[in-house]
Amino acid sequence: MILVIAIFVQIKTIKSATLTVGTTIKDNRGLKDELLIIQTKYETVKRTLENKQKELEKIRLSASTTNETDKKNETEIKYNQELLGLTEVSGPGFVITLEENREINIDEVLNISGYLVHEEDLLYIVNELYNAGADAIAINDQRIVNTTAIQCDGNILRINGKMVGMPITIKAIGYPERLDGALNRPGGYLQIMADGGIKITTSRTENLTVPKYEGVYSAEYLVRR
Amino acid sequence: MKKGKLTVTITVGFIVLVFTAVVFIQFKTINQTDILSIENMREDELKSEISNFKQKTEELKREVDETNTKINEYKETVLTGKEASDLLTKELEKQNNLLGKNDVKGSGIIVTLQDKNNKKITSEDLRTLLNGLKMAGAEAISINDNRIVYDSYIVDIGYTFISVNGNKIVSPYEVKAIGNPTYLESGLSQKQYGFVDMKLEEGKDVSLVRKDNILIKKYNKSLDMEYAD
Repeated sequence: MILVIAIFVQIKTIKSATLTVGTTIKDNRGLKDELLIIQTKYETVKRTLENKQKELEKIRLSASTTNETDKKNETEIKYNQELLGLTEVSGPGFVITLEENREINIDEVLNISGYLVHEEDLLYIVNELYNAGADAIAINDQRIVNTTAIQCDGNILRINGKMVGMPITIKAIGYPERLDGALNRPGGYLQIMADGGIKITTSRTENLTVPKYEGVYSAEYLVRR
Repeated sequence: MKKGKLTVTITVGFIVLVFTAVVFIQFKTINQTDILSIENMREDELKSEISNFKQKTEELKREVDETNTKINEYKETVLTGKEASDLLTKELEKQNNLLGKNDVKGSGIIVTLQDKNNKKITSEDLRTLLNGLKMAGAEAISINDNRIVYDSYIVDIGYTFISVNGNKIVSPYEVKAIGNPTYLESGLSQKQYGFVDMKLEEGKDVSLVRKDNILIKKYNKSLDMEYAD
C-alpha cells in the first residue's frame, strides 16, 4: 500500500517536473544550438590565447638578455604569473569534497537549507584554507584568484562566472597537516556542515595539481600611484 | 486451498518486488539528472549562459589582441637590437598593480561599516562585501588600508577585533574598491537582495559613496608560494 502511494507520488512529481522542463526543452532547440556554438568559439579563442601567451613568453625571454635589470624583470614577470594564478601549480595539499544529500525526503526535513551547499559555505572554507597558509586553491577546477567571486545564481553556483555542479571538490596546495588541522578541528566549519546534512570527505595528499585561472584580469580603472 | 494461498503469496511477493524495483529506478533517475547539462537547462538559464559565454569570449579576444601587440613590440626590439627595458617595466607594473605589490589609484567606491550598540560588524559581513565587490568587477580592494591579495583572509578575533591578513583592526571599517563606480555601486545597491539593503535590514550601519580618486596602499608583506610550484 505504502509502496503504491510512494510510486504514484513519485510519478506525479516526475511528471510535473518534466512537464515544466519538458515543454520548454522542446522549444529551446535554437537556444541550445546557439549555446553550443558560442561554447565552441570560446574554447577556440581560449586555445588561441594560450598559444599567443607561449609565444609572448619566448620572445620576451629572448628580448631580455641584454642587461641584468631586464633579466631580473623577466624572471619576476614569470613568478608574478604564478602568483596571479595564470599557471598550473603542483604540490602537497588537502582535498575536500562536499556532496548534497539528495536521498533525504524533503517533506520530512524542516530546514532543507542545511542539506545544500551555499556560496557562504565556500567563501568560509576558502578563507579558512588561506588562513591555514594555502598557496593555491581551486573549486571544481576553477582557480581561486584575487578577483574570483562565488555567486549563487538561482540554484546554481558560479565561480569565476562558470557554473559549478555537485559534488564540489576543493583542492588546496599547502602544508597538509596544517590545512587538515584547521578545517577538521572539532566544532569547526566542516563539522557544522556535516551535522547539517552535507556529505563531506577530506584527504591529505603528497601531490596535487591545481589548474590555472582561465579568465582575464581587467585593469581599466587602476593605475600605479 | 493450500495451492491458492501459495499463488496469492507469490503474486503479492512479485508485485512488491516490482514496485520496490520501480521506486529504486526512479530514485536513481532523479540522482543522475545533471544540472549543468545543456539538455536540462531552462530557457532563462540558456539565455544567461549564452550571454555569459559571449562576454567571456569577447574578454579573451581582447586579451589575444593585447598579447599580439606585446609580441610585436618585443619582436621590434629584437629586430632593431634595442633594449626591451620599457616593455618589461610596463608588463611588470601592470602585474604588480593587480597583485597588490604597488600603491594604486583610480575611481571606485568606499563602503563604511560601523559597529553600533549590539549590531557588530563581523568578519562574515566583510567577506560577503568583498565577494560582492569582486562580482561587480573590483580591480583592487583594501580594508582599513590592508590590501586584499589573492591569499588574504578575514577572521573575527574575540568580540572586539577583526583580523585582515593577520593584522588586527577595529570599527569603523573603511572598504575601498577601485573599479567601474557604476557597476560597483549598483552591484551592492540592488533593492532588498543587495549587500547594503541586506545589512540595513539586519540593523547594521553601512554607507556607500562613489569617489573619483581613491588611493589604495600596497600589501605590507611579501607574496610567496611556499609549497606550490
